[in-house]
Amino acid sequence: MTEFVVANMAPLMFASMILFLLFGFPVAFALAANGILFGLVGIELGLLHGALFQALPERIFGIMANDTLLAVPFFTFMGLILERSGMAEDLLDTIGQLFGPIRGGLAFAVIFVGALLAATTGVVAASVISMGLISLPIMMRYGYDHRLATGVIAASGTLAQIIPPSLVLIVMADQLGRSVGDMYQGALVPGLVLTGLYVVYVAVVAIFRPSLAPAMPPEARTLREPDGASGLRSLALLTVVAGAGAWLFASQIYRADAPRDEVVVVSAMAGIGIAFVAAMVNRIFGIGLLSRMAERVTFVLIPPLGLIFLVLGTIFIGVATPTEGGAMGALGAVLMALARRRLSLPLLRQAMDSTTKLSCFVVFILIGSSVFGLTFRGVNGDLWVEHLMTSLPGGQTGFLVAVNLLVFVLAFFLDYFELAFIIVPLLAPVADKLGIDLIWFGVLLAVNMQTSFLHPPFGFALFFLRSVASEKVKTASIYWGAVPFVIIQLVMVGLIIAFPGLVSYGDAGAKPAQQQELDLEQLLQGGGGAAAAGDSNADLMRKLQGD
Amino acid sequence: MSSLLRLSRLIDWINERVGRAVMWLVLVAVVISAGNALVRKLFNTSSNALLEIQWYLFAAIFMLAAGYTFLRNEHVRIDILTSRLSPRGQNVVDIVGILFFLLPMAGLILWLSWPIVMTSLASGEMSQNSGGLIRWPVKMMLPLGLGLLVLQAFSELVKRIAFLAGHGPDPLQKKSSGAATADLVAAIKAQREGRVEP
Repeated sequence: MTEFVVANMAPLMFASMILFLLFGFPVAFALAANGILFGLVGIELGLLHGALFQALPERIFGIMANDTLLAVPFFTFMGLILERSGMAEDLLDTIGQLFGPIRGGLAFAVIFVGALLAATTGVVAASVISMGLISLPIMMRYGYDHRLATGVIAASGTLAQIIPPSLVLIVMADQLGRSVGDMYQGALVPGLVLTGLYVVYVAVVAIFRPSLAPAMPPEARTLREPDGASGLRSLALLTVVAGAGAWLFASQIYRADAPRDEVVVVSAMAGIGIAFVAAMVNRIFGIGLLSRMAERVTFVLIPPLGLIFLVLGTIFIGVATPTEGGAMGALGAVLMALARRRLSLPLLRQAMDSTTKLSCFVVFILIGSSVFGLTFRGVNGDLWVEHLMTSLPGGQTGFLVAVNLLVFVLAFFLDYFELAFIIVPLLAPVADKLGIDLIWFGVLLAVNMQTSFLHPPFGFALFFLRSVASEKVKTASIYWGAVPFVIIQLVMVGLIIAFPGLVSYGDAGAKPAQQQELDLEQLLQGGGGAAAAGDSNADLMRKLQGD
Repeated sequence: MSSLLRLSRLIDWINERVGRAVMWLVLVAVVISAGNALVRKLFNTSSNALLEIQWYLFAAIFMLAAGYTFLRNEHVRIDILTSRLSPRGQNVVDIVGILFFLLPMAGLILWLSWPIVMTSLASGEMSQNSGGLIRWPVKMMLPLGLGLLVLQAFSELVKRIAFLAGHGPDPLQKKSSGAATADLVAAIKAQREGRVEP
């Protein structure tokens, strides 16, 4: 018996961890208790040094001093303030009116707004609830298929998980020892491609099964000119003018030696600024320069685009660290809510309260998993996992397939914080040893984990949608509606594996995260990063093709 | 039993107060961190003290709120199996969990960290960075937070035993999860009813 235990400590510990977690007591404490129990057994059996746990306090001090995780409360707080600011509702109303009169238009509006919200904040619940309350009734009124309507809402809400700045990417970067900025850059293109795939799916449905996604009748568009014209021409003109302004600014006015990221961000802001000034002038002087539609679209797009610049823009051009970007976004959200007179003391309190509790439980899971990890490594659990994973047939590809299956299945039971803190530290060293780029690996897992929001029975997005959808929508419709989108997400996982170049980020070096944080200054000047990233992606591609 | 329940109410009150105070640190941290970035960009200076205070505040937030979060039952669980148990069964799970999971963990780390914090306090340990902060206050957060957590665990234990013995309400009934969602739904509906359709 003892010999069996000694020989199989790691598998036994892993199996009992699952039992401990299923016991239903908070995960943080169950993980830690598992680590302590096996630590004591290991010490008793002479497998582990008696002073094993002496390392614990220092580890926890290390977690405290971790700047990366500080971004978690900042982005949470920002999301909680934004969800009450009315920004999402205004966007859905206006963009719905804009796209509604084409086939599938309301669904396109949901995807577009979902992606915009995802790029301002990382909270799934808020997007799904807003869309469920505002877009779903409209889609039902105009005869949308319930499955399509609920599926597109739930899936667009989960874009918040993959489009930066998302919480899952922060904890993933932390656990993989990479910088959050790189993780954000790496996830940007896959996030946009995924959004594009949703659009393609809706377009295909709208073309071949028009009855499922009918166009809103033109008279349902209430946002029009006094004479009844739609005012779309004015909007198109404004778009062209703003775009041309941005292009001129980038090519003529802005200093030529600036890195590309910075030029893109700053000139996009210039274009938005032009549209904003035009809309303001139009409103104040009432000169009829713009149609009502053009003015309204400009005003609803300014807050999210401004926040995106404040957060992602400052991170990408290197003015702020991701943590500070989160803080700037949070401050920006507070100021915006104040300006819209939507911020009250109870709301502020509630946001701070939820942020505090979320930060606490997230960090405690991390503390619990460090206790677990300390013992698990002590009994050579890392070697066991490595042996298990490297003995799979197919090398890298075999590993990736196995890992993705594992994460997909575990995502039925665990949420992404648990997956990131328990599973990722076990897999990351193996991936690293197999020569897999860890940013790429992190983005891949993040896309995969996104499915956990969408599949029954615990998909949070479905749960939130159920809580706000009318009685007429059957629960089965919500579940079945999510299926095509889960499949699209899995297709995306496949695409990332097939085309690793989708995940590209500025500085492809394998520097430890902390050093990269310090290298912000270099990043500011480094236009050469892109070329390096291209090289390493080519490397990766070769490796993946079984070189 | 009734004196234990009084003690439990006192502990709940303490952690409630601590939680309500600590949450303001979120706002303070936001302002300091955003300020750091702006000052660095605009004036090209930065202060190690202001950089370090960010994570001091973060440490204070999550450590000191440990008891409060437990009071509000917000530490996440995987309750796919136990959510089917009767209220009595769920309370038994929690009693076992508190006694065999939570208290050993908190006790062990508390016991191991105390001497380290005392050493840091006695030696006046400073940050390695120039202009950095003194270390013991942040290290103190660990035993302090765990102490609050242990107190709360004791209070929750009392409430659960009281329930099983028929002396009190089910402490798991007041679950607040979902309340935030309901609030948001109500707020959006109220906003929409209050305005004229465009």
